[in-house]
Amino acid sequence: MIRIEGLTKEYAGKAVVRDVTMAIESGTVTVIVGTSGSGKSTFLRMVNRLVEPTAGTVEIDGVDTRRMKAHELRRRIGYAIQDHGLFPHWTVARNIATVPRLLGWPRARIAARVRELLELLQLDPDEIAPRYPHQLSGGQQQRVGVARALAARPDMLLMDEPFGALDPVIRAKAQDDLKAIQERLGSTILLVTHDMSEAIKLGDRIAVMSEGRVEQFAPPADILTRPASAVVESLVGEEDRPFRYLSLLPIAPLVEPGTAEGPPIGTGHSLRDALAEMIWSGRQALPVVDDEGAACGRVTRGALLSAGRPPR
Amino acid sequence: MGRSPDKLGVPMGGLLAVALALPLASYRANRIAPAEPRGLFEALPLSWALAVVGLALAAVAVALAARRPALRLAVSALMLLALLMAIGEAGRTLSAGGAQYARVAPGVGFWLAAFALAILVTDAIVRLRPGPLGRLAALAAALAALGLILVSGQWDGLSVLAEYRGRAAAFWREGGHHLQLAFGSLAVAVAAGVPLGIAIHRARRFKAPVLNGLSLLQTIPSIALFGILIVPLGWVAANVPGAAALGVQGIGMAPAFVALFIYSLLPMVANTAAGLAAVPAGVTEAAAGMGLTRRQQLASVELPLALPVILTGIRIVLVQNIGLATIAALIGGGGFGTFVFQGLGQTATDLILLGALPTVALAFVAAVVLDATVDLLPGARR
Ligand SMILES: Nc1ncnc2c1ncn2[C@@H]1O[C@H](COP(=O)(O)OP(=O)(O)OP(=O)(O)O)[C@@H](O)[C@H]1O
Ligand SMILES: [Mg+2]
Repeated sequence: MIRIEGLTKEYAGKAVVRDVTMAIESGTVTVIVGTSGSGKSTFLRMVNRLVEPTAGTVEIDGVDTRRMKAHELRRRIGYAIQDHGLFPHWTVARNIATVPRLLGWPRARIAARVRELLELLQLDPDEIAPRYPHQLSGGQQQRVGVARALAARPDMLLMDEPFGALDPVIRAKAQDDLKAIQERLGSTILLVTHDMSEAIKLGDRIAVMSEGRVEQFAPPADILTRPASAVVESLVGEEDRPFRYLSLLPIAPLVEPGTAEGPPIGTGHSLRDALAEMIWSGRQALPVVDDEGAACGRVTRGALLSAGRPPR
Repeated sequence: MGRSPDKLGVPMGGLLAVALALPLASYRANRIAPAEPRGLFEALPLSWALAVVGLALAAVAVALAARRPALRLAVSALMLLALLMAIGEAGRTLSAGGAQYARVAPGVGFWLAAFALAILVTDAIVRLRPGPLGRLAALAAALAALGLILVSGQWDGLSVLAEYRGRAAAFWREGGHHLQLAFGSLAVAVAAGVPLGIAIHRARRFKAPVLNGLSLLQTIPSIALFGILIVPLGWVAANVPGAAALGVQGIGMAPAFVALFIYSLLPMVANTAAGLAAVPAGVTEAAAGMGLTRRQQLASVELPLALPVILTGIRIVLVQNIGLATIAALIGGGGFGTFVFQGLGQTATDLILLGALPTVALAFVAAVVLDATVDLLPGARR
């Protein structure tokens, strides 16, 4: 549990983060979105005290972060940034080992952890571990950056536009991987982005920031259906709104008995995926299969479209 | 073949060809008698002269037409070696018949040819793009060749070595002083300059004033600086107990040392600060974000990444100090400059060379070794 109370940062008398108060549940993903210069990075960096607040407090599991030594606090919190910040004079293995070494882990444990993390991020340890950062592609560097942030098994992860420099395909893959890793490890993640689709895809809750203030802090569906202000509404984007909303809804509740023509879709997919498939294949309904591949009914275009109109 | 001749080969080959026609050596009946020029065929036995001309023509042809760097290197290095042997032979030949006081020195033809060949050799090495270890090996080979020539006695007929034989003990003593001045002031400059560079990198508002102040010091002419230092150091020697016993005096090595240190500060401080400033922002942010303490950030991330730039500063300082230390002799500071200024006083060119040649060689060796060291650092792989 992270409690943030009245957090404020001023530079030269001008507030860039103003009086932010929020509570973040352990094991959830909170995404901070906002336009450039809205104070997202400053806010994030106050959590691990890379920036000292002008006013307000951050409490992690009931302990005020000001009561800890800054470097000890940071060793407990994973940190990943947009241009990955890998140390160019160290190999990948040495980079990932940064925090475990600071914590004085024994050699063998560090080596095992490095292997484990590279495998977790689908990088071949024998090939990648001895390389230097400049010998990796941008996507590989970014994954090593995430591996380094995860190295000492932090309960909490701060990520500042971690996928900002990636192309759309790799980016989508990296988002899926992060989601899977988070579900497996149960980490608390605070992630900054200016991409609303990324926020909706990854966030359990989204905090929308504008001019240093948090305009709304709510689950993605609420952000879409009940935007708290004009700023939030404009960030969501009127023409994308229905599709973003459909992307949040699972197929399962709309499955009805019956059959349909053509290749089936899994219950794990979103209504947006189903709509895309219907449009592209020109079908009125799709057969639905469960995780094991067994047929469990169909989903129709009519049901889908009415589900896409949120309750008001 | 329709290929245009090599761009560097034209001037250097031309220079080499011209040098053949100029006097190879100069002969004096005694140390202060007027110099008489001696051409290639006057100075050398016929077989030697013909061999030199033949090799030189081959070297000119290769310089003009050959493309392969290895061939260019082999031929110009061989010619340079032949030239160095030939000048020794000229020394022997010319002084053989004459009186025991006869002096033989390299003439303008020798210097021009040596210059052209040195350029051709270094150019060929650059074209070969050797790694740092290759460059060190080339340096070692050159030094070994030089050492062998000296030990073999091939140059014993030359007047520079005659000057050396007259003052061998002084030569090595002043050489030691020279190194003490150059390396000692460098060590102190590193010890003071690196921390100062770190300090102004961290406290940005002091950066401009400190660098400007050091630049100002840098512009004081060296002779003036020696003069300025005489008074305060003389006062320290007279008034601070124990200072005089440590060798602090208004003249001598102390002011020379202090002056070299002052000139060394700007390159050390500026390069340290520039190296630290060039560390990518993401890297420093990550280092802090990972939980490295301030000291760990500096020691294990910032300084290692700044090291190539800092070492470049050390290289600048060392080469500069080896040259500047020559002037220390003016105020009794010793070093190879002693011979240069004695030579100037006696209009004895050979004595000037005895001081100047080892200085140039030292500076050159220092530059090559430090450049190679910079390239050998892990940070250089980026
Ligand atoms: N060290 C600083 N000194 C002065 N002003 C700063 C400093 N750091 C940030 N700011 C200002 O604070 C504001 C918020 O910056 P911040 O980096 O938090 O924005 P952001 O939301 O992360 O933007 P982006 O999406 O472009 O990364 C900006 O106007 C910025 O200029
Ligand atoms: Mg930012």
